[in-house]
Amino acid sequence: MYELTGIRKVFAAGSVALEDVSLRVGPGEHVAFIGPSGAGKTTLFRILNLTLRPTAGALVFEGQDVSELSDAELRRVRTRIGTIYQQQNLVGRLRVVHNVLAGHLGRWSAAAALASLVRPRDVAGAGRALEQVGMPEKLWARTDELSGGQQQRVAIARVLVQDPDVILADEPVSAVDPSLAVSIVTLLRDLSHASRKTLLMNLHSVDLALGYFPRIVGVRDGRVRFDLSPDKVGPELLAELYAGHRDEEQELEQLRDGKNPFGAACRPLPGFRK
Amino acid sequence: MARIPSAPPADRFPASGSRRLFPYLFTAVFAASVLFSLREAQVDPRRLLDADALANVAKFVRGMFPPKLTGEFLGLMARAAVETVQISVMGTAIAIALGVPLGVLATSSLMWRGVLHERTSRTGRWVLGFAPYAASRAVLSVFRSIPEYVWAFMFVRAVGFGPFPGVLAIGVAYGGMLGKVYSEILESVSPRPLETLRAAGASRAGVVLYGLVPQALPNVVAYTLYRWECAIRASAILGFVGAGGLGQQIELSMRMFQFDEVLTLLAILFVLVASVDVISGRIRGWVA
Amino acid sequence: MARAVAARPGRRAPLLVGAGLAALLAWSWQGTGVDLPGLLGGEGLRQIATYVARLFPPDLSARAWRDAASGAVETFAISLIGSLLAVGLGLPLSLAATRTLLYHGILFEGRRLGPGARTARVTLHAAGKALLNLLRTIPEIVWALIFVFVVGLGPFPGVLALGVHTGGVLGKLFGEVLEDVDPAPLEALQATGAGRLAILVYGVLPQALPQFVSYALYRWEVNVRAAAVLGFVGAGGLGQRIHVAISLFQEHELLTLILAIYVSVTLVDALSASLRARLV
Repeated sequence: MYELTGIRKVFAAGSVALEDVSLRVGPGEHVAFIGPSGAGKTTLFRILNLTLRPTAGALVFEGQDVSELSDAELRRVRTRIGTIYQQQNLVGRLRVVHNVLAGHLGRWSAAAALASLVRPRDVAGAGRALEQVGMPEKLWARTDELSGGQQQRVAIARVLVQDPDVILADEPVSAVDPSLAVSIVTLLRDLSHASRKTLLMNLHSVDLALGYFPRIVGVRDGRVRFDLSPDKVGPELLAELYAGHRDEEQELEQLRDGKNPFGAACRPLPGFRK
Repeated sequence: MARIPSAPPADRFPASGSRRLFPYLFTAVFAASVLFSLREAQVDPRRLLDADALANVAKFVRGMFPPKLTGEFLGLMARAAVETVQISVMGTAIAIALGVPLGVLATSSLMWRGVLHERTSRTGRWVLGFAPYAASRAVLSVFRSIPEYVWAFMFVRAVGFGPFPGVLAIGVAYGGMLGKVYSEILESVSPRPLETLRAAGASRAGVVLYGLVPQALPNVVAYTLYRWECAIRASAILGFVGAGGLGQQIELSMRMFQFDEVLTLLAILFVLVASVDVISGRIRGWVA
Repeated sequence: MARAVAARPGRRAPLLVGAGLAALLAWSWQGTGVDLPGLLGGEGLRQIATYVARLFPPDLSARAWRDAASGAVETFAISLIGSLLAVGLGLPLSLAATRTLLYHGILFEGRRLGPGARTARVTLHAAGKALLNLLRTIPEIVWALIFVFVVGLGPFPGVLALGVHTGGVLGKLFGEVLEDVDPAPLEALQATGAGRLAILVYGVLPQALPQFVSYALYRWEVNVRAAAVLGFVGAGGLGQRIHVAISLFQEHELLTLILAIYVSVTLVDALSASLRARLV
């Protein structure tokens, strides 16, 4: 699916966000990315969904070098990659149905998009997607009147309508409360499992990552520090990954003490004893 | 399994809830007024494209080049440009002098309502508060609703030609606008600090000086500057009715079909307005 | 106490600004020959008072009524069509004036524009801005003079003048709104593979629309006032009748016409305020 070699990203201000990132992700794989904030995970995801151009290095998607694509080809590839953001990135003034149908935009012409704003084109499809995320009754609500968790589910419904081969979820649960977080992560995992989609997720909470994903990539200071299965990710590795980031270290302390903010839904973490 | 609400059948669309009358009514009234206005304003795009119009455009454009740049003409126009700036400054000064007292009188929270007046008697509030409040609001409304050109025209009749009627016109019309906006700014000041000061035993003047003025000042300055910018544009064209400045020259040249002079004058106006934009942007940067 | 009380900060800047303002005022006073003492001392005030007294009572004959009413209706029509024309001109021009839709920002981070395409877009942006500045800087009344010369007398040149000048103003304001739109949803739409035009109609316009409506209504209010004076140069509306009334010393009829301006301006302000409350 993805093949990254020596990806480097330097922003205009001169700050280096990513340095020599190399990674392979196979079709249907589920991968969680963890690491302290500012590690470069979001930048990596923006490069993976082709909205940010790496400064150097090669990104190959499905055997095709992305840097060689024309504008139209780039758009076609983007339709196959669905992104869910930390902030939901919805158009607040539009009704839910329109935000869900935005998943079709890659296939619609601008005229069709305009027409659909006047008279939605695929109400049934939007309804089905909302049903899958468990809030069909909100189809005609105005998006900015929904709670953060509900908006996040609208964003997921948009990705369902888009029906991509890869789902990139960038911290999808850091803005919602813990009980909802588990259900959103499970939802995404089950949905992508059922349709054999590749799922890449940035996660702020280590326990969700370790509990739900078979492959964990640790990122720090723009570099990949480890790429292991969860049972190999031990306390020392995590302590090293988060060293110097106080808030996150404290959360680790709590985990070590057996306090799990996500409750019984999370299975006990490997390496941490009660 | 939950049902999808209002799934398609087209006849049930839009199931979006807003089936109120307003959108339809609005569209109908709007369309009717546009059609009516098109006729009333004698809009006829063909008139733009007929032979006469095109010939006139050609005459105008050809006449503009080369612009008239003789030293004598430029000197005369420079004096007119200076006069324009001076009219705007004096006009704005008079507008402030009119706008501040009228604006204060037109502020309900200062005159008869709210924290400052909890202990004033009922009649006191009406006679000393509400009556001048209502009167000054009416005066402000008249001042600002009559366009500055009409004021200028009338002042030309009352005090004669020259920059003076222009100054008065800007002073009166902009005094009305400044007064209204000053009162809105004062009205929107957060009452919490005022209450605190009042509770601490401050006198009414103390509350105004320490609570009201500091909160309102930045907005007052910003809006006054904005009005000064507008005043320059306005004073540049008040001359059309004989009130001095560049406008008088533009009209004269236009009437005499001296389009080369018109181009020079428009360029001067352009530079003038652009430099005012820059200057007042600078000043606003300092104040904010 | 070990720590010293802070010294009073320098007070020079306000003094300088104050002195500058005073000098500016003195210079302007001298230059305009404003005779404030004379005005407040009686002579000027008496002149103004005499003139105002001559205006009363307003002429309320049927003919004056009809004249005022037809002038007010014409003014309303000029302002409405002129404002619509301005929106029609300003909207496309504002797109050319918006960097974030042409070559800069979040929509252009995925792929580098070719050097030719970039130069073309930067040029288009500069040209759009320059055109808007030109339209905006020439006052409505000068535009009216020009259009009267081109198409002849009547309300139509007034409509064109308002449309062109206000088109420049709205184009600039709309462009600022478009550049300030929240980019996060645009990024998400782009990530679904949407084209730039689709992003424009689906992500940018819904965010910008309330502000657009608000600005258009505001300019409509301004345009009623302007439409009421364009007639001074022969472009129809109440202004034309006022010009006649003043020139022929028909003071009573002048007052009727001024009342008509006051009523139309106040009505349009109220209408626009209620529309703003409902639509935005």
